[in-house]
Amino acid sequence: MTELFNYYNLLEIPFDATDEEIRTAYREAARRAHPDASQNPATAENFIKIQKAYEVLSNPEQRSNYDLTLPATFTKPPILLTTLYSRASIQKTGESQLLYVLVKLAANSDQQKFTNPPLNVCLVIDRSTSMQGIVMDTVKNTAIEVVRKLRAEDIISVVSFSDKADVIVPAGMNQDRTKVENSIYMLNPGGGTEIFKGLEKGFEEVKRFRTPKAVNHIILITDGRTYGDEPACEFLADQAAHLKIGISSFGIGGKWNDTFLDRLAAKTGGSSMYISKPKDVDVLLKEKFRGLGDCFADRAFLKFEVGSGAELRYAFRLQPETSPLEKASPIQLGSIHQGTRLEILLELLVHPITSEKATLNLVKGRLFFDIPHRADPQYSMRVDISRPSSHDPDPMPPPQMIIQAMNQLTLYRIQERARQDVTKGNIKEATRRLQFLATNLLSQGQRDLARTVLGEAANLQQHSSFSEDGEKRIKYGTRALLLPPPKEEKGL
Amino acid sequence: MIICPNCQHEEISGAIFCSECGTLLEGLTGFTTQNIPPVPPSEVAETVDEKIHTAPYSEADVSLCIVETGQIIPLDEREEFTLGRSAEGQPILPDIDLAPYRAYENGVSRLHASIKKQGRQLIATDLGSVNGTRLNGQKIPPHKPCPLNHGDILTLGKLKIQILIRR
Repeated sequence: MTELFNYYNLLEIPFDATDEEIRTAYREAARRAHPDASQNPATAENFIKIQKAYEVLSNPEQRSNYDLTLPATFTKPPILLTTLYSRASIQKTGESQLLYVLVKLAANSDQQKFTNPPLNVCLVIDRSTSMQGIVMDTVKNTAIEVVRKLRAEDIISVVSFSDKADVIVPAGMNQDRTKVENSIYMLNPGGGTEIFKGLEKGFEEVKRFRTPKAVNHIILITDGRTYGDEPACEFLADQAAHLKIGISSFGIGGKWNDTFLDRLAAKTGGSSMYISKPKDVDVLLKEKFRGLGDCFADRAFLKFEVGSGAELRYAFRLQPETSPLEKASPIQLGSIHQGTRLEILLELLVHPITSEKATLNLVKGRLFFDIPHRADPQYSMRVDISRPSSHDPDPMPPPQMIIQAMNQLTLYRIQERARQDVTKGNIKEATRRLQFLATNLLSQGQRDLARTVLGEAANLQQHSSFSEDGEKRIKYGTRALLLPPPKEEKGL
Repeated sequence: MIICPNCQHEEISGAIFCSECGTLLEGLTGFTTQNIPPVPPSEVAETVDEKIHTAPYSEADVSLCIVETGQIIPLDEREEFTLGRSAEGQPILPDIDLAPYRAYENGVSRLHASIKKQGRQLIATDLGSVNGTRLNGQKIPPHKPCPLNHGDILTLGKLKIQILIRR
């Protein structure tokens, strides 16, 4: 389908562009199409159109009349954005203040039915010696089951790696799925762990068939720590983010480097998950594929500027997969599912207010995403975070949703701080934090997790370090607290 | 600045939970920054008085608070109430039976006192009780009406009751 002609497309601006954006875009377009700059008669005609477009769009009344003539598919935002603030207004004081912002993004239910976009996924499987036995068998069986469930239009590729990497199933159209299954089945463990080699091959496979109309993703399954090639992996993740390819990881057992895999996920909008028991591979990997398939909008990212009076201190994705996010623009957010909202929580530090302005602009930005099933997948919408200023403090308590999310997120962050303390050798502080954490967990009825935390506190005092397994269990345990309670089956 | 009541950690205002110990801080903001000096009872009575005189009692909502337990007994639908305790074989029952509030142990008579809404005023009368009635610690003579204000403490025998009037 050819892109529809309208004034917005002509000026290359989104439907919700501000007057300021319209003006800038008009100047830019007019300069390019100016008759003085080109002898081409078509350009001259274009120049007149641009003039007309600006004339209409810069006049609020004419613009709203014009908007009515546009088709709903263009004017209706495909994504609904809601913002909740912890405070209705910001008090003018000489103190710094914190403001929590919950941004919710949901697929607009008015949208017509759509078919789930095809997948273009590469499984990058660690086949180092340590994977041998039940772990490898479970991974293989689950991968085969996942392949069986794929639709004809989906593209799967499989890379296995140890200290070298092989493409055991190359990406391609019309794959022979039985052959794919056999290749996975033949996988045999042996060797060390060099994640970069595996990722690099996986990246090549996904890249070959990458289209904006598909969900392009790399899934890394590993149980070990990679040595020395982390910077290379991170560089590759940046490239992947640029090409809009997501990277998610599954870490099995206690040996893998979770902070590193979290970084890969945060850079690309993917996720990292902890697998304590081999049978969790089965549940989580299938869930991951379901999530990828259920994608309404993919590769969402937020490009923004923080106002001079504020600072973004923390960003976290609460849903669909809990994950810490980058703090600097652009923040990769991952995908927006059909059924589940994408929710992110931001912690903003607002510096003492000196200006007399009635409204404080804290964050100005734009959310970009692709809607794979659309003729023109790319879409963007404005995100403004601003608050009125007031002389008195806002007497209303924050919305319940923010309190609930912060309740759990605070525990996750106590865990983060305890880990930082241990890295700095501050064992006493870390132990104290873990004890606070355990108290809170007990009061929430999370007995098992509390016990793990207390066990680690004892471990810290004896060995001045966490046990590898316990460290991850606490991290992913506190992270899992943020997940909404399991949804009831559909139809109930 | 908010000081966490649990671990004394200082948090930036606007924080919802203490980042050190995870305690909920919301709602503390107003209390930690200022000290409210206790207001002498006479002043309370005066300030409330002004408000009350602007509306007749029929519109007001009067209730009694048993000080010891904090239980609230609303006084509505009528103009006059007798206060006392029920006992076996008693022919006349009080309108407000204080027996559930340990009236016997506190020396409340079976018909101890009455409270009456009279125009703009609320009036208490001791009905000749054995152990007497006190208003804010002062004994009131039997069968002599005494005006009541919001916050007053009426003591029947040893049972303390606070008068609550809401406009």
